[in-house]
Amino acid sequence: MAAKILYIYLPYLAAVVFAVGVIFRIYTWAKTPVPLRIVTTPAPKTRGGVALRLIGDALWFPSLFKGDKPLWVGGVLFHSLLWLVLLRHLRFFLYPVPGWVESLQTAGLYAGYLIPIPLALLLLRRLVLERNLYISILGDYFALLLLLGITLSGIFLKAFFPAYLVDVKDMLLGLLHLSPRVAVLPWLFGLHFFLVLLLLLYFPFSKLMHAGGIFFSPTRNQRANFEKRFVNPWDVKVAYNSNNLFPPEKYRQELASPGEGRKE
Amino acid sequence: MRFPVPVPEIKTGASKHAVCHPAKEKDMAKIDLPRERREDWKEAMLKKMGEMLDKYRSLRLYLDICVKCGACADKCQFFLGTKDPKNMPVARADLFRKVYKKYFTVGGKIWGRANEAEDLTEEVLQDWYTYFYQCSECRRCSVFCPYGIDTAEITMAAREIMAAAGIATKYVTEVVAKVYDTGNNLGIWAPAWKDNCSFLEDDLRDTEGIDIKFPVDATGAEILLVPPSADNFANTNTMIGYGKMFHAAGISWTTSTYCNEGGNFGMFLNYANLKKVNNRILEAARQLKVKKVYWGE
Repeated sequence: MAAKILYIYLPYLAAVVFAVGVIFRIYTWAKTPVPLRIVTTPAPKTRGGVALRLIGDALWFPSLFKGDKPLWVGGVLFHSLLWLVLLRHLRFFLYPVPGWVESLQTAGLYAGYLIPIPLALLLLRRLVLERNLYISILGDYFALLLLLGITLSGIFLKAFFPAYLVDVKDMLLGLLHLSPRVAVLPWLFGLHFFLVLLLLLYFPFSKLMHAGGIFFSPTRNQRANFEKRFVNPWDVKVAYNSNNLFPPEKYRQELASPGEGRKE
Repeated sequence: MRFPVPVPEIKTGASKHAVCHPAKEKDMAKIDLPRERREDWKEAMLKKMGEMLDKYRSLRLYLDICVKCGACADKCQFFLGTKDPKNMPVARADLFRKVYKKYFTVGGKIWGRANEAEDLTEEVLQDWYTYFYQCSECRRCSVFCPYGIDTAEITMAAREIMAAAGIATKYVTEVVAKVYDTGNNLGIWAPAWKDNCSFLEDDLRDTEGIDIKFPVDATGAEILLVPPSADNFANTNTMIGYGKMFHAAGISWTTSTYCNEGGNFGMFLNYANLKKVNNRILEAARQLKVKKVYWGE
């Protein structure tokens, strides 16, 4: 029964929660209007420029580089290693395995061995820096520990207690082709798999949504085309302020004759 | 352990005492806000918060995606100056975020306090009033945030939400009310403005021997000048500069006693007043039938 839950029910639940959750969060952002132009300068003037800026922001974090070098090192290392590891894992989901995934295997493998280092650095940073300790909440530690658990179980799985690859792939392809079979796999793989499912379940409800959110950030995805009028979609008309007569009635007389009322 | 970059220490509650004076009833009435804190302030604030979340993508997104990396922390002059941890941009936004999570997110409803979700209590409101008025909306944090999270957007929303429940500061509301009364932030009435202008004319005639005009409410000029009002009150050298420049260039110009201020304190209060204060410039330009507006500050 436990195997049935872990390898059949939970994966589908996680997939649905993840997909629906992420789409719902992104839909919420997309449908919310942007009333004002608040782009942070220096900003690109064209859409192409904005695309480059967003890709740069998403891949190598220039803002962090400007502001916090140790954090930048940890962040860039973690995210780029994560990319390699994720791409390497495609070999479990694709059949036949494409050539480019094959060619990434060695790099992905070393990335997997290294990835706990930046994770540990990021965790240490939260605990050592007083101000980061102050702002950190349970969710921040949970995300880091979950990722550490996933990567460490993955490393042990690869290096010391390998699961039989054909069984793993059989299970995953069964899930993908909607013909799941109860798999018999070692407990360490079960743990690794369970933690990943937990991450997928947690993802849409958490700060991990920064992954998609960055592309919706108005300070980063707007253009600096200030010569063009920016229209607020929900703009309200403001009434002429009748408190303030033009010019104030009681002084109208005085204003009609310049110089009058002055004390020489 | 020494961290490889300088890290400011934190002193909890260091600037808790620096609380702004509350707004006066007479000013609140003039700017279409509740005269005093509403009986149902909590409901009023939550209602306004819901409205704003649906109107500003920036607000909702920035509350959702902050990962609390702390890159913004030592970029805020209010934190560096006071060492109060609630003045770190991320912590300032957290004051808002915990209420948002409690009432508007699934995560907050599932995990509650473990996910920092918190009720909107009197203490939370006190923190809001204290620390959202210790932000100058300079947006420096947004430059260093990896996602461009702009704490000024959150500060502005918090102030607008408080204002809707009748909670605002004396300084800001008084200035906005003054703009509606007199046309400028300093409260210079039309005759005083006019008098100041003719004084400068006399002065320049004496010192320079030239007839340089400082027209007020002149219809059909080329340019409407909207200066900071202090230029015709305290920093008159700047006003003299405008006059000389227009004289030398041979351009006809005027100031308006309806709108003789370019600074906009509505920015620190709410959208309606922000727009109303700015709209005066347009109204004055149309009334005086000018072709262009020169707008300082």
